[in-house]
Amino acid sequence: MMKKAQKTNWVLTIVLILGTVTVFFPLYMAFIIAFKQPSEMTNDVAGALSFPVKWSFDNFEQAMEVTDFWHSLGNSLLITLTTIVLAVLIHSIAGYVIGRGMAKKKSFHFIYLYIVSGMFVPFSILMMPLVKQTAQMGLGNRVGVILLYLVFYMPMNVLLYSGYLKNIPVALEEAADIDGASTWKTYWKIVFPMMKPMHATVAILTALGTWNDVMTPLVIMSGTGQNTLPLAQLNFQTQFGTNYNLAFASYILALIPILVFYIICQKQILNGVANGAVKG
Amino acid sequence: MSKRKIARVMSVVMGIVMGMASLTGCAQSTSDDKVEVELVSYKPEAVEAFEEIAERFNATHEDVYLKIDSPNEAMTILKTRFIREDYPDIVGIGGDINYSNFLDADLFMDISELEEVRTVKQSYLDMDKELEFVPKEGTYALPYVANAAGILYNRDMFEEHGWQIPETWNEFIALCEEIKASGIQPLYLGYKDTWTCLAPWNALAVGLSDSDTCNQVNMGNTTFAEEYRESAEKMKVLLDYAEPNPYAYGYNDACTAFARGQSAMYPIGSYAIPQIKSVNPTMNIDSFTFPANEAEEDNVLNSGIDLQFCVMKNCENKEAVYEVLRFLYEDETIQIYLDNQGGVACKEGDFEIPAELDGMSTYIENDRMADYQDHHYPSEMSVDAMMQTFLLDNSEDAVDIFLKRFDTDWERYNRDLIRKVQQYQQEKGDAQ
Amino acid sequence: MRKKMTNRDKTFWAVIIPVLVLFFTFNTLPMIKGIIYSFTNYRGYGTYDYVGFRNYIDLFTDARVGKSYLFTFKYALAGTVLVNVLSLIMALGLNSRIRFKSALRGIYFVPNILGGLVIGYIFSFIFTYILPAVGNTFNISFLQNSILASEKYAWIGVLIVGVWQAVAMNTIIYISGLQTVPQDVYEASVLDGASKWKEFWQVTLPLVVPFVTINLVLSTKNFLMVFDQIMSLTKGGPAQSTESISYLIYRNGMDGGQFGFQSANAVIFFLVIVAISVFQMTVMNKKEEQL
Repeated sequence: MMKKAQKTNWVLTIVLILGTVTVFFPLYMAFIIAFKQPSEMTNDVAGALSFPVKWSFDNFEQAMEVTDFWHSLGNSLLITLTTIVLAVLIHSIAGYVIGRGMAKKKSFHFIYLYIVSGMFVPFSILMMPLVKQTAQMGLGNRVGVILLYLVFYMPMNVLLYSGYLKNIPVALEEAADIDGASTWKTYWKIVFPMMKPMHATVAILTALGTWNDVMTPLVIMSGTGQNTLPLAQLNFQTQFGTNYNLAFASYILALIPILVFYIICQKQILNGVANGAVKG
Repeated sequence: MSKRKIARVMSVVMGIVMGMASLTGCAQSTSDDKVEVELVSYKPEAVEAFEEIAERFNATHEDVYLKIDSPNEAMTILKTRFIREDYPDIVGIGGDINYSNFLDADLFMDISELEEVRTVKQSYLDMDKELEFVPKEGTYALPYVANAAGILYNRDMFEEHGWQIPETWNEFIALCEEIKASGIQPLYLGYKDTWTCLAPWNALAVGLSDSDTCNQVNMGNTTFAEEYRESAEKMKVLLDYAEPNPYAYGYNDACTAFARGQSAMYPIGSYAIPQIKSVNPTMNIDSFTFPANEAEEDNVLNSGIDLQFCVMKNCENKEAVYEVLRFLYEDETIQIYLDNQGGVACKEGDFEIPAELDGMSTYIENDRMADYQDHHYPSEMSVDAMMQTFLLDNSEDAVDIFLKRFDTDWERYNRDLIRKVQQYQQEKGDAQ
Repeated sequence: MRKKMTNRDKTFWAVIIPVLVLFFTFNTLPMIKGIIYSFTNYRGYGTYDYVGFRNYIDLFTDARVGKSYLFTFKYALAGTVLVNVLSLIMALGLNSRIRFKSALRGIYFVPNILGGLVIGYIFSFIFTYILPAVGNTFNISFLQNSILASEKYAWIGVLIVGVWQAVAMNTIIYISGLQTVPQDVYEASVLDGASKWKEFWQVTLPLVVPFVTINLVLSTKNFLMVFDQIMSLTKGGPAQSTESISYLIYRNGMDGGQFGFQSANAVIFFLVIVAISVFQMTVMNKKEEQL
C-alpha cells in the first residue's frame, strides 16, 4: 500500500516536462531573433526558429544605446528597492499598530477597514487626478512614483502583516512592557524580527508588482527624460518598430534582470507568493 | 516614552525621501546663466534633424540654450504635461485638431509681432485660421513644413512594366487591375494601426468633398451621409487591390513591405518617405495625387501643415523664444529639416521640392491643395477606429451604417463645440 | 499601568496618523477629485464647466463605452474560469508524485515574473508572423491569418497571453492549498476505496475552497483591470473590439480630451469592481460555511 503510493508517476512527469515548451517557446524565439540580422528574417517557420548565422551581440549593444539601458535599469532598481525597503518598514509597523489596536478599539478597526478597502480602488479612477496632484506637489518624478507605490500596496501589505500578527502572542509584548521597554522599542526589537517570513513575502509581492508596472511611471513621469525598463520598451516600440531584431534584443535585455533574480531567489519567491496567499 | 525615537526614525525616513528628491532635482539646473528654451516636437522621426538644428543654434548663441525633445507618443506626453501644468516654451505640433483644442484652451501666445510671420505662404496661414473653432484675433502658430498625401509608387517597377500614372479614378482602377494581372500586388495598406486607415481616406475625401465640410455640418447646412458617401464606397474598393488581411499589419510593416517591393503603390503621405528609405536607402520613389474623381481637373492634392511652432502663453522669456523662432525660420535651418525629412516648406522662397514629390509638384505650385479632413475630427471620436470598423464590416449596408454613425457620433462628440460656434454666431449677430 | 497604556496609545497614534495622512493624500483625495471631475466637461487643461450628470447619462448611451465593458467582462469571465481550471489541474499535477518537482514548479512560474508589456510584444510577433507561417506551411486555414487582425477573435489572442501569465500565480496558490490537505484525509479516502475522481470532488475540492475564493477574487480583479496586454498586443483594435475599460480611460482621458467624461467612466468602473468583489466573497463565504 505505502510502497505503491510512493512510486513516481512517470507519465505525468513526462507530460509536465513536455508542457514546459509553452513556457520556453516564446522565450526561445525572442532569444533567437535578438541575435539575428534583419536579412535572416524570412516568412516561414524555419526562418523564425533556426539558429542565427552568427552569434553576435551587435543588436544588444545597439539596443542598449538607444534605450539608454543602464539608466533605465538604474531607475527601475532605485524605484523598486526603495519601495521595498520603505514598504517593509512602514507597512509592517502600520500593520502591527492596526492589528493590535483593532483588538481593543473600534477606531482602529475602522482604520483597518478604511485602508484595506483601498484594494478595490482601480488605478484608473486615481490616475487622472494623481497626474495633476503629483505635478502640483512637485512629485512628477521618481519620488512621486515611489510614494504612490507605497500607497497602492499599503492595503494588501497591511492586510498581510496584521493577519500574520495573530500568530505572535501578545504575551511577549506584555512581558517586555512590564520590563519597562517602550512600545516603540518592543516593536523593533521583538515583533519586527518575528515577522521575518512576512517581510520576505511583502518584499517579493511588492517587488514583482513595481518592477513590471508600466502605467504609473507612464503617466507620472513620462516626458521627464527618466525611464523605467518597461517604459523604455514602450518608447522603443514606436521608434524602431521596423527592426524586429533590435526590438527583441531590447526585450531580452529588459527580461534578463528579473530572470536572473528569479533564478537566484526562486525558492524564496515561490514560498513568499504562496505565503501571501495563505495568510491573506 | 520614545517620542524622541519616533522623531529620530521619522527624520531618517524624511531624510531618505529628501535625498531622493535632491537626486531628481539636480538634473534641472543647466549650464551657467544661459536662458534655457525648451522645445517639444511631436515628430520623433525627425530627431536627427532637430539634434543638428539645436547643435547649430547652441554653437552660435551665447545667451540662449536651446533644448529640443522629440519623445515617442509625443502627443500623449505633451497632453500629460499640459495636464500637469508643466509647459515647455515652444511646441512643435501639426496643424490638426490638437492645435484647435490647445488654442481654444487659451494655451498659446499671439506671435503676430514676429517678423517671420510675414514670410509664411498665405495658404498655410489660412489653413491655421480654418482650424480655429471660433475666429480668434492674432497669429498663434508659425507653419514650418507641410506634407502631401496621395499615392507613393515604386518608380523602377512602373518603368519596367511601362505603367502610366493615372489621372482619374477609372484609370486608377484599370491600373490596379493591370498590376494585379502581372502578378504584383498593387497596394499595401497596413491598417492595423488605425490611423493608417485615414491616410487614403483623407486623400480621397479632399477630392470628393469640400474642404470646410466639417464646418458646414456644424452649422447645420449638410450631413456627412451626403458628403462622404462616395469616399466611403471608394475606400471599400481599395481593399480589392491590397494585401490579404491588411488589419494584421501596421504602418511599420507596410513601409517595410513597400520598401522591399512587395507592392507597386502605397497610399500614404510624404511623411512616410524617410521611414521607407531607412529600410531601402536606394529606392526610387515617386508620387501622384490621389485620382479620386472622374475628371482630372476636379482632383485636389491632400496637403496639410505637418509641423508648426507655437509659443506657450506663459513662457517667461519671450525674447529668447523669438530668437529661437528666428533661427528656426532661416532658410538654411529649414533646409536641414527638409533634407532629413522631406516635405514642402511653408516659407516663401526657393526651396526645392523633393524628388519623391515630383508627381505632385504641379499641384503644389498651382496651389491646388486642401487640408486633411481629419484635422477637424475630434480625437476622442476616434474616426480612425470607426473607419477600421467600417472596412471590416462586410455586410451589404456597411456604408449606410458607417455614415449614419458618423453623423450621430459627430453630434455627440462635438456637442460643446457646436454650442460654442452657434453661441458665437448669435453674439456676432447681436453685435451687428 | 494605566500610564503605560496611554504611552502605548500615544505611540500607536503617532504611527498611524502619518500613515493615514499619506493614504488619504494619494488614495482618497484623488478619488474625491476624480468624482468631482466626473461632473465637468474638463479636457485636462484649459477651462471647464460643470455639466451635472451629463457624463453619466452619456456613459449609458455611448456605444464605445458599452463595447469596452462588454469586452472587459467577456475577457474577465473567460480568463477567470480558464485560469482557475488550468491552474487547479496544474497544481494537482505538480503536487502529485512526480520527479523534478521543484524544478518544474520553478519553470512554470516564470511567466508570472515577466512584465506584461514585453511578453505582449513577443506574443504579438508570434501571432502576426509565426502562427500564420505555421498555417501556411501545413495548410491550416484558421492559422493563416493573424488572430490579432480578426475583429471576432482578437480578444482570444489577448486572452491567451493573459492566461499564460496568470496561470503561474494561481497554480502556486492552489499548490499551497493542496498542501494544507492533511495526508490522513487522503489515506482515509483511499481506504474507503474512493475513485480518483470521487476523491477529487469529495475530499480535495472542499478543502481547497478557501483558495478558490482567493484565486477567483484575485484573478477577476486582475483581468478586469487588463491594460499592459492591450497596450502591447492590439492597442484596442481591430475595430475597437479589444478596448478594455482601463485602456479606454487612459487613451481617451489622457490623450483624447475626455478627462471629465472618462472620470465618470472610472467612477462607474470602481463601483462595478466593488460590487463584483463583494458578491464573489459573500457567495464563496456561504459555500465555505455549507461545507
